[in-house]
Amino acid sequence: MTAEGGVQYSKIAEIKGPLVVVDDVDNAAFDELVEIETTEGERRLGKVLEVGHGKAIVQVFEGTSGLSIAGTKAKFVGKVMEMPVSKEVLGRVFDGLGRPKDGLPDPIADKFIDINGEPMNPEQREYPKDFIQTGVSVIDGMMTLVRGQKLPIFSGSGMSHNLLAAQIAKQASVVGTDDDFAVVFAAIGVQYSEAEFFRRSLEESGALKRSVLFLNTADDPAIERIITPRVALTVAEYLAFELGMHVLVIMTDMTNYAEALREISAAREEVPGRKGYPGYLYTDLSTIYERAGKLNGRKGSVTQIPILSMPSDDITHPIPDLTGYITEGQIVLGRDLFRQGVYPPINILMSLSRLMKDGIGEGSTREDHSEVANQVYDAYSRAQEVRALAGIVGKAGLTGIDLKYMDVGDVFEKEFLTQATDENRTIEETLAILWKIVSKLPKNEITKIKDKYVDKYYQGD
Amino acid sequence: MAAQGKIVWVSGPAVRADGMSEAKMYETVSVGNSKLVGEVIRLTGDVAFIQVYESTSGLKPGEPVVGTGNPLSVLLGPGIIGQLYDGIQRPLRELSKQSGSFIGRGITTTPVDMTKKWHFVPTVSNGDEVSAGSVIGTVKESELIDHSIMVPPMHKGGIISNMVSEGDYDLETVLATTEKDGQNIELKMYHKWPVRKPRPIKSRYDPTVPLITGQRVIDTFFPIAKGGTGSIPGAFGTGKTVTLHQIAKWADSQVVVYIGCGERGNEMTEVLVEFPHLKDPRSGKPLMDRTVLVANTSNMPVAAREASIYTGVTIAEYYRDMGKDVVLVADSTSRWAEALREMSGRLEEMPAEEGYPSYLASRLAEFYERAGRVRTIGSPDRDGSVTLIGAVSPSGGDFTEPVTTHTMRFIKTFWALDAKLAYSRHYPSINWMNSYSGYLGDIAKWWSANISEDWFDVRGQAYAILQREDTLKEIVRLLGPEALPDEEKIILEVARMIKIGLLQQNSFDDVDTFCSPEKQYKLMKLLVDFYNKGQQAIKEGTPLSDIRAMSVITLILKARMDIKDSEMPKLDQLATKMDEEFKEISGVKVSN
Amino acid sequence: MTSNLSLEQSIDTVLQKTEKDILLNLKNSSIKSKETLDNSLSTLEGEFDKIISDGNKEADKIGKQIIGSADLEARNKQLMALEEGVNKVFSKALDEITNTARSGDYSNLIKSLLDESTKILGTTEVIVSTNTKDKDLVQSTLSQFPGSELSSELIDCLGGVMIKSKDGTTSFDNTLDARIERLKPLIRKEIASQFGVGN
Repeated sequence: MTAEGGVQYSKIAEIKGPLVVVDDVDNAAFDELVEIETTEGERRLGKVLEVGHGKAIVQVFEGTSGLSIAGTKAKFVGKVMEMPVSKEVLGRVFDGLGRPKDGLPDPIADKFIDINGEPMNPEQREYPKDFIQTGVSVIDGMMTLVRGQKLPIFSGSGMSHNLLAAQIAKQASVVGTDDDFAVVFAAIGVQYSEAEFFRRSLEESGALKRSVLFLNTADDPAIERIITPRVALTVAEYLAFELGMHVLVIMTDMTNYAEALREISAAREEVPGRKGYPGYLYTDLSTIYERAGKLNGRKGSVTQIPILSMPSDDITHPIPDLTGYITEGQIVLGRDLFRQGVYPPINILMSLSRLMKDGIGEGSTREDHSEVANQVYDAYSRAQEVRALAGIVGKAGLTGIDLKYMDVGDVFEKEFLTQATDENRTIEETLAILWKIVSKLPKNEITKIKDKYVDKYYQGD
Repeated sequence: MAAQGKIVWVSGPAVRADGMSEAKMYETVSVGNSKLVGEVIRLTGDVAFIQVYESTSGLKPGEPVVGTGNPLSVLLGPGIIGQLYDGIQRPLRELSKQSGSFIGRGITTTPVDMTKKWHFVPTVSNGDEVSAGSVIGTVKESELIDHSIMVPPMHKGGIISNMVSEGDYDLETVLATTEKDGQNIELKMYHKWPVRKPRPIKSRYDPTVPLITGQRVIDTFFPIAKGGTGSIPGAFGTGKTVTLHQIAKWADSQVVVYIGCGERGNEMTEVLVEFPHLKDPRSGKPLMDRTVLVANTSNMPVAAREASIYTGVTIAEYYRDMGKDVVLVADSTSRWAEALREMSGRLEEMPAEEGYPSYLASRLAEFYERAGRVRTIGSPDRDGSVTLIGAVSPSGGDFTEPVTTHTMRFIKTFWALDAKLAYSRHYPSINWMNSYSGYLGDIAKWWSANISEDWFDVRGQAYAILQREDTLKEIVRLLGPEALPDEEKIILEVARMIKIGLLQQNSFDDVDTFCSPEKQYKLMKLLVDFYNKGQQAIKEGTPLSDIRAMSVITLILKARMDIKDSEMPKLDQLATKMDEEFKEISGVKVSN
Repeated sequence: MTSNLSLEQSIDTVLQKTEKDILLNLKNSSIKSKETLDNSLSTLEGEFDKIISDGNKEADKIGKQIIGSADLEARNKQLMALEEGVNKVFSKALDEITNTARSGDYSNLIKSLLDESTKILGTTEVIVSTNTKDKDLVQSTLSQFPGSELSSELIDCLGGVMIKSKDGTTSFDNTLDARIERLKPLIRKEIASQFGVGN
């Protein structure tokens, strides 16, 4: 904001990919915001990636197409990129760089916040443990979401991740409280129709006025996608930690984000890590995902549901792989289930919520929750083995107990997993179905549940 | 004279400054107007390459760089236990007092409270001769830690004079002076030590004492020795962190150093929240009273992540030097290797495999070499150990990637986590076919002397059942279980029981979370006996379905949760019940 | 007659049986139709309930949507109104600046603008541009900046200076317009708070 910045340089040494190299620069800082002016007077934004020895390498968010060595000017603004925030950003639609896209004026800022944020001090974090009822049985029952968690959806092209995320956003509420709830939605390189689907479903549930949308669609500049999740999270942190709201951030599709990062890395001719992605992809992703959380002595929370499509459904691909190492679990959609028409097509064996153990049990969901969920995981895993076996030896070759496990698999998928997109089940309903599944098994197969709970809830004979 | 230069180039955590001909390798420097902490990692002419431990956002060429003259060091003295440090030993609690919930930049603090008074009890008197490493007195640092105040390792020793009497002193108080060759040196409660330099020792021992972790699959099948090295590689979601937390909670060491190196913030918070409430199973005191945390989470500056490993291991060696058994858990060494790779890339060094620097292997070797069970220097004689356990996060769960393969060369216990086991909720998901322990032979003596004579033998039998099952599984996969005769089917049956009743362990269950060596042995023995009796019964003509229907099976499988460590007779009763039931089913057979 | 009698008897029997059958049939079908009616009634009731509940759901959805949209629309109108107010204040302020007398304080301002600009560019060897109004004032101040010259080209601005290095590669825009532009977000906040918004 000071007059420190503002010098404009017009000696452009090189333009390659999304980068502009400016020469004879003696007054620029690392990470500084840059305004690029084209020959036609059009302005684009960028930031400094490297500075020194009279050169500055600038990454241009809106792309370099149409820029020329001769006519381009670069103005170093004297500050890092900031997002103006206030309560009035709720109900607004912004572009991928945080500029209004709804025809309304710039928000009148309460604060201007560095979009990169600062790392939360681990000592000041509050351990997340407040159960969020999403109304989706398989999530609430088997991979419980808690406030302040980061739980991604690993999907593949064409699968129903958007439906699921929208359903969660509409139904998510915390049992027993009526604190302020907000949704921040960041579209990162997705099709316009997908972004519009989200907007409409938020509108239909009346949640639009409690939502902030950041839209970088497929036809918007790719490099802008580096910024989109950051402006979205800056707003989310403000709403959560300054205004005390419980913010659910949905970011889709993080794969497009990582690809933008790879494009910049390639242009800088960096030594690539796996599959051409930069070696710092993990660190970079963590500066996004680690912005979820709760803080001691503050009311709000930032919960993240990033969505990413796994290239060729491959969970070992660097993007889902590194994401899984940072996030607190993952919800994995299964192609097989999707093909069978199951909604939500969640593969529970590959899915996991690391924070579930602290968000469930007596006082939040129910005393038996953890154990009954463990038993169902175990039973469903056995059911899958039996199904595989039946594929070899035929159903006739199965023992009585094997057949019971087959039954468990079917009931699980048909009655528990399958759910309508507007069906909002309570945790009691969810647990009741889990016990129905467990009760298909004879008592001596139940090794993961304490006797007292079996006595209380088991309905078999 | 301290170097005084100017920044000429900035790119992320890497900075170049000129005018630095006075600077030394690995010297710490203050960078820029906001006085960020950095370390010199290469010198070319008068240009220094500096890795900066804080965010360099907004840093400009032309800003000053000032040398401190000292290498990156940690402060060692009472007050370390129970702390949560960042990668360069800044206490995070102090940082939050200065910059709030988020970590600001350019903040300076001392690693421990220099003004706090500790009750010091001298153990030497004026006129005694001491040498480097000698204990001059003790301080009660926490409920669990008697902290020895030692003569610093590089000290040349001498005759003690001006010794203070027992009483309360702060860290800066001169406790005594040593005199040698006409030179007097003051001794205080603390000294500093450069993190990249191993602290000296007198001699090394063979590791023969097991580190008891209370985790059955570790202690019984793939044990680690005190002073040993172990590695735990696994794809995400395989329960790596939970297993490491379990070791940190229950290992029978006096001090635990837990390094969160490039991992999740909430995991450190979890330790911080949980440990003060958990009781050490042996002393009944809060676990936090023996724990030091070093947290450089994934989103904190990457250079400090590189340093965090060294900060942690130096603290571990310091407590070892007091004659304590120390366990150091580093989660994850892969993130540390990535930090090396990132800095190496910025320095434009020639990369080796997957972009990692060519010195990755030697750095890993140096780190694991700092483990060991040792005789310390100085008097009185003390034996201590540092056990190093490093997590590895192989990309895509692929164990052939560089960090995993190099690590395997330098460690002796390998706990291979298996995504398939994790998917079926078999926790800990340590794969019993791919894991190994090089300490088995060395520590078997301890088990036979302390738990049971036949431990080694029974363990061998249990493991053989698992191995047989692994071979049979292939046949079952192709032909179905009915293709096997009963005496082989029972192998599958008992292997399943071993998996559920012994290998699996629920770390969130109050009883199951920790399993005493005695209970581990008895559970294992019960299962092996079940197998032997079962085979015998089948030989005598009892159908397998009768064995499968035995009501004792469920009891055996639940014993790990149902029977507490203090209720060992119940396990003996279970063995009796099993015997009776076997008699019953073979009896029914006879009466027919 | 016997035969007649037996015939009659037979006929009677048949008739009786038929009558019974018919009666039974009638009774049965009456029960059945009653059952069907009952069933369809309950089905109908179910359908009815479902239609009502679907309708309620839909109405609820539409209700939420309408209320949500209405709230939002009202808020957005408010935002537009506020913006209009801010803009009015803003343009009035700009007018005032344009019409400020070019003397006293203003000449100090020009001096400090030049000071700042040359310091930022790191040289006084610069070409300075300004508008007609400020031309003379700038010219007279430039003597304190050795190596500087006034550009013959005039620029369109409220006031202040734009300086450029002599090789043309670096420039710094220190016109009042540029300064106001840089400060605009803060100024807007300031004005809005005068309207009682943003606190």
